[in-house]
Amino acid sequence: MSPAFLNFIEIFLNGLMAGVMYSLVALGFVLIFKASGIFNFAQGVMALFAALTLVGLQTGQVPFSHLINAIFGTEIHHWGGGMNSFLAILLTMVIMIVMAFLIEKLVLKHLVNQEPIILFMATIGLAYFLEGLGDLMWGSDVKTLDVGIPAGGSFWWEDITREWAASGSEYYGMYIDTLDVTATIVAIILVVALSLFSQYTATGRALRAVADDHQAAMSVGISLRTIWVIVWSIAGFVALVAGIMWGSKSGVQFSLSLIALKALPVLILGGFTSIPGAIVGGLIIGVAEKLAEAYIGVPYLGGAVENWFAYVLALAFLLFRPQGLFGDKIIERI
Amino acid sequence: MNVHLKPAQEIRMTRPDDGIKKGDPLLIVDNITLRFGGVKAISNISFDVRKGEIRAIIGPNGAGKTSMLNVINGFYHPQEGTITFRGEKRNKMRPHVAANQGIARTFQNIALFKGMSVLDNIMTGRITLQKRNMLWQALWRGPAENEELEHRRSVEHIIDFLEIEAIRKTPVGRLPYGLQKRVELGRALAAEPALLLLDEPMAGMNLEEKEDMSRFILDVNQQFGTTIALIEHDMGVVMDLSDRVVVLDYGRKIGDGTPDEVRNNQDVIDAYLGISHDE
Amino acid sequence: MLYREAGDFKTTYQADQQTFPIKSERILFWAFIAFAFLVVPFLINDYWSKAVLMPLLIYSMAALGLNILVGYCGQVSLGTGGFMAVGAFASYKFMTAFPGLDMFSVVVLSGLTTAAVGILFGLPSLRIKGFYLAVATLAAQFFLVWMFNKFAWFYNYSASGQITAPERTIFGIAVTGPSSAPWATYLFALTILFVFAWVARNLTRGRLGRSWMAIRDMDIAAEIIGVSPLQAKLSAFAVSSFYIGVAGAMFFANYLGAAEVGEAFGIDKSFLVLFMVIIGGLGSILGSFLGAAFLVLLPVLLKNLMVGYLGWPTDLAAHVQIMLVGGLIVFFLIAEPHGLAQLWRVTKEKLRIWPFPY
Repeated sequence: MSPAFLNFIEIFLNGLMAGVMYSLVALGFVLIFKASGIFNFAQGVMALFAALTLVGLQTGQVPFSHLINAIFGTEIHHWGGGMNSFLAILLTMVIMIVMAFLIEKLVLKHLVNQEPIILFMATIGLAYFLEGLGDLMWGSDVKTLDVGIPAGGSFWWEDITREWAASGSEYYGMYIDTLDVTATIVAIILVVALSLFSQYTATGRALRAVADDHQAAMSVGISLRTIWVIVWSIAGFVALVAGIMWGSKSGVQFSLSLIALKALPVLILGGFTSIPGAIVGGLIIGVAEKLAEAYIGVPYLGGAVENWFAYVLALAFLLFRPQGLFGDKIIERI
Repeated sequence: MNVHLKPAQEIRMTRPDDGIKKGDPLLIVDNITLRFGGVKAISNISFDVRKGEIRAIIGPNGAGKTSMLNVINGFYHPQEGTITFRGEKRNKMRPHVAANQGIARTFQNIALFKGMSVLDNIMTGRITLQKRNMLWQALWRGPAENEELEHRRSVEHIIDFLEIEAIRKTPVGRLPYGLQKRVELGRALAAEPALLLLDEPMAGMNLEEKEDMSRFILDVNQQFGTTIALIEHDMGVVMDLSDRVVVLDYGRKIGDGTPDEVRNNQDVIDAYLGISHDE
Repeated sequence: MLYREAGDFKTTYQADQQTFPIKSERILFWAFIAFAFLVVPFLINDYWSKAVLMPLLIYSMAALGLNILVGYCGQVSLGTGGFMAVGAFASYKFMTAFPGLDMFSVVVLSGLTTAAVGILFGLPSLRIKGFYLAVATLAAQFFLVWMFNKFAWFYNYSASGQITAPERTIFGIAVTGPSSAPWATYLFALTILFVFAWVARNLTRGRLGRSWMAIRDMDIAAEIIGVSPLQAKLSAFAVSSFYIGVAGAMFFANYLGAAEVGEAFGIDKSFLVLFMVIIGGLGSILGSFLGAAFLVLLPVLLKNLMVGYLGWPTDLAAHVQIMLVGGLIVFFLIAEPHGLAQLWRVTKEKLRIWPFPY
């Protein structure tokens, strides 16, 4: 195979894996939207917060150290210990569940009957709040996240692909990051698990009932509040997974929360209520973005087309199919 | 600042004559078929509405009555058939064309603008009659203000007619159901319609409210000369108010004539008593 | 007792429709305006201008524009930063290409340019609604920022990628550039804001405003009664973008002096103005001002409190501020979804019957 073709495959595969990363965040959105009709803008920040907490626990940081030092004039930063990754993940999960509980109690409960736009803006406010809280608790410097996921280019794959190249061409082999592969596997497991959960368990059924009609669900005895706590906890778990993957890849920093914005085109393509759609949408966006950057952006437009291509693609899509790939067609009645 | 307002007797409530005499067909619906995917909501329905009459459209639930109104409004586009309004024939209406030509409507589930007051809602009904462009409106003083005040006058005339003066500044979301229905009627009247379509105007009302609404409908027809087509379930209202009735069932027309003729039509009786018609 | 209305009956529709029907309110308003125009210019200094007054005036303008689009017409937009950039860059190109042009014309032309761009990016709103439209406006935001960065023509091929405002005058007095006096830039911005706030009031009280609100409340019913969705939505985008473009031009030329598109007009600007509109009150002219005041004054207050008084480091203060703004948004949406403007209305109601409770 020619190097040009192999290059194309490389970009395509990397695009798929980038797409998987987007899907991880989009999954959280879909869950919450399915169960409560709320578009949770804070999903990206939740991933950031989860990652920050994880690193903080792992490295034995004292939460709110910056604030405490400012008030009391002390100089504490770490309490001298740390904990292993497994324990840290577990504890972070507990914290995310507590957070889900608090969000339901302090925010969601009071906004039950408001219009969707108010709910959406509330989640934007929540996103800002959590961002500030995360920075306040753990500091806003960039942190490295390492929970032992294998990372770096796969030499095995590089060697194999070098052999596929046409003889005589100088091809160094395809670069596929093993971290991305791990992320893909994790994402697939998550999607399958969540789909099965939603389809076959009683709680999953209750979730779908709540998504369809709040009042009807309540009238058959489903507790709305419990369901919301469950959903936001699961979304918190998904956020944690996303945070781990993204954080391992590019460090834990503020830009992680901007991933939430990238998840929007994913949701448009995949539909706001479809779990498999989140994956498909993510893959399409990932591939399209990378291909656009490589074949249109860099040669003709000076690069950085990735910044906006996903959104423009989503926009073009919406013009032809306003409800997305998997979304339900909206029939308006009057 | 002198604002020149027209004297009260010049306030018009319906479109002027366009060559169609009273008693001639104002609206002709010819062989309309409407499908949603595989479901036929309306099958080959034809009827007409004569100028100056009150035409009732009745039938069991799901017969296609509201869909028929939606077709007349241009909200749904029929797959077959034509609509002739004020002499002009077309195979589908567009909403803003229908509105500009003088078709006004009330809705089964109230479609008022909840964020606005009663006055603003009814003023919005005048929108097809307001002409001053954006630049004049930005300036306000002068032609735009004069136009606004003229329309305000007409709207106040309607408010007096419907006896809702006391609530004119109230946001409509706060009003009880019966008053909301009246405001919606006001908004439709504000457009000076040639044809007024009413979708279940009496739904959810008690006897007193029904009597009020009936009085308004009759006044609109008799005083202003507006042609009215209404969907209604209350048989008493239908028989007393309407000049002619068309009966629908499962998307088909099963009766068409004066109230007495329709009352004695065997097909209509069967439909209402639930005997199925397999055709 | 304070808001005496007894005996004040309106006898003409004109009187009924005026902006300040209560006499004491009218007097208060004009006194405030007189103060702003006649007294403040003598008291203003560089700090107050840069920290409080200029941001307040400029963000009020932007909030007015966004409120027209989101609050009155119900079209969600996250592209405010990008449109402000259009206004800024348009003003830069006009100032450098036509050096003799006075600043007022520059600002108006920049606004018109932004209005044209706004109509273009508003076209999707004819097909797309709600959240989906928000995503479409994100496309505008990211694309515009990228475009102003990539194509050097926009910043006249300067090496730094920044645009710098040359000195321009109005009636011979400098209102841009380093030698412009605080009172000059202040009066300039204040006059523009005053004129266009009046225009906004006129547009929203008439046919156009009603068509916007009809589309917002129930677009299908609106179309059936004769509101043209195309005219209503595109005019909302056009007018809104005009205001935001003017705000962007003033932000760059009269306030910052020099700007780099990524920092000055990024997505956080879009959120900031959106927050102003929400906190101030959707669909309210007064609300735009209140929201802008709130989100301009609050950081200044917090900074003075935390850094100045308590001696905390600035990054810590910044974190607390972000938290507080986010928390306040949520609080406002729960307690009073219609914003500060509604709070003001309720207060007025209570004042009308004070000292009686009801």
